[in-house]
Amino acid sequence: MEAIKIDYKNIYYPPGGILIWILIFLELITFGIALIVLVINSSKEPEIFHQSRLALNATFGALNTIFLLTSGFFMATTVHQFKLKNSKKASFYLNLTMLGGLLFLILKGIEYYLKINTGHTIGYNSFFTFYWLLTGFHVIHVIVGLVILLFMKNGIKKSKSLLEDVEASAAFWHMCDLIWLLLFPTLYLIF
Amino acid sequence: MKKKDIYTLGLLIILTFLTALFSTNFNTFRYVTIIILVLSALKFLLVAFNFMDLKHANPFWKVLIITYLVFFVGIISLIL
Repeated sequence: MEAIKIDYKNIYYPPGGILIWILIFLELITFGIALIVLVINSSKEPEIFHQSRLALNATFGALNTIFLLTSGFFMATTVHQFKLKNSKKASFYLNLTMLGGLLFLILKGIEYYLKINTGHTIGYNSFFTFYWLLTGFHVIHVIVGLVILLFMKNGIKKSKSLLEDVEASAAFWHMCDLIWLLLFPTLYLIF
Repeated sequence: MKKKDIYTLGLLIILTFLTALFSTNFNTFRYVTIIILVLSALKFLLVAFNFMDLKHANPFWKVLIITYLVFFVGIISLIL
């Protein structure tokens, strides 16, 4: 089957389009600055940050990393199948992508529930203020990503989606992976 | 399903386990923090270049994302 080809070498057309990449860089810079401020704060209260980090469940964090990475893999496969004009397979892999996102949200929900039960709420200390704000904003991104994927699934089903739309939605979904790949080591592992 | 993507996912999972292993067993050493950050940066690049197809993009975008990562890992390593 002949695949759709786009000249990605054009500086104005990175995969997904220039607008989504501007958004991706803005998001990465915002989260990056917040994480750097978190690390600066940790040097003022190293013991509090160490004890707080130990209160987090790194296994949950690692599992969530695997959920998002696997979901990202299925997203890449969805785009590949869409380029091959195989809508049925694209739709199937898109379902698996969304399943990965849902599993991430369920595990994150369990983690939040356990943290609230042990009293580690947003005002507990400065580490947990950062933890709730950063992971909370990330969760919002994942939810928005899932809504975008739902629209994309509908578009593929009705043969209305263009490659540009599918690639831009995929880029947004992968951005959630990228942000999590910065959050996971900084919050769960290094202090 | 592309073979390249399957290998990428396998590598990403191995790197995730390695990161967790380093963190739980050797987290008292400062250089381990830098190893954890570098391994995470590798995962970041694998996702950006393979899953997001950035490797086919104009060099400008590749340089931009690598520069971002170097700054991020560099600044955090310096502060810690």
